[in-house]
Amino acid sequence: MYRELRKPLLRYLVCLGLSSDEAQDVVQDAFLSLHHHLAAGGSQENIRSWLFRVAHNQARNRQNRYDRRFAAPLEDRENLISDQTTPERAVLDKEKFQQMAKAIRLLTASEQECVFLRAGGLRYREIGEVLGMSTSTVSDTVSRAIKKLAEKFK
Amino acid sequence: MSAQKCDCSEKLVAWLDGELSIDEAAYLEQHLAACLECGTKVDAYKKVSVAVQAYWHAATTSGTHRAAPLRVLPYVGAAAAAAAMAFFLLRPHPRPFEPAVQPAPATSSVVAVPDAKPASPPSPHIKPVRVRHSTESPQSLQTNSPPTESAVQIAIPAEALFPQGAVPQGVAFVADLSIAPDGSPQRLHLEPQLIQFERSR
Repeated sequence: MYRELRKPLLRYLVCLGLSSDEAQDVVQDAFLSLHHHLAAGGSQENIRSWLFRVAHNQARNRQNRYDRRFAAPLEDRENLISDQTTPERAVLDKEKFQQMAKAIRLLTASEQECVFLRAGGLRYREIGEVLGMSTSTVSDTVSRAIKKLAEKFK
Repeated sequence: MSAQKCDCSEKLVAWLDGELSIDEAAYLEQHLAACLECGTKVDAYKKVSVAVQAYWHAATTSGTHRAAPLRVLPYVGAAAAAAAMAFFLLRPHPRPFEPAVQPAPATSSVVAVPDAKPASPPSPHIKPVRVRHSTESPQSLQTNSPPTESAVQIAIPAEALFPQGAVPQGVAFVADLSIAPDGSPQRLHLEPQLIQFERSR
């Protein structure tokens, strides 16, 4: 389970704006919490959304604590993407990446969260559990976010 | 139909994600076959979803790769520093109790610091020199705990430190040295020991 969920959790946290070190910390903490949760006889259902919820809350706590601007780390990472590819592809990828980063930054916080969790393969029901929304609100939010993004990429 | 705004467009993303009930999905698919506008939208949503997925992927591959090697470096650095320190501390030190010993030439190039088995019986041609901290637990290189309570033993072949034949057969040195938290040596005490004696211990 750790192996299966570690990467998606890391990705989600980095997309939320954490540095990769912070993200790794949060993921470790989340799995530790899960261990305690299960050891204390906690529910074994919906473990995936449970982990995402714990990680999500921790990430938000950290961001509040440091009063960080939400999108700042994304800008840093835009420079890293070109490293492994050929120059032409790198330019293309980088352009696309920046476009996408910009478009995503224009979404509301909950739209961003929904979109990232969806990209992480979570079902609407699970996203709702992570973010504390109803499934139909998730559906509306995802739909609205994708529409906005599609507008930008016409 | 394409001219009028159909309420189906609200459900296209959910349909893409497989989140509609069977009935809803069937209805929507029927509608999609007929409605050009919704078909175009679905294509656009699909494309954007793929792009988001790519973004999500790209956002972390660089981050996780970068973090890993850094974790190894402190250990390598610590090991190298300890080896170098042991070498330089031992080499120029005078040994009044062993007149046959000459300091090694400064150009001596091979420093073999075997990292394991300091306690194994030395071969006839290798006279181990052990570097010790004040106490016995051999852990200080693996952890970042304060060095005051830990000890490490490094066996260095005598040939690496002294010219060939300078050290008589059957003699080894044990060097006790304390290293302060800032890495500076506090105390260095060399003591010759007979290898026979070492073996019997």
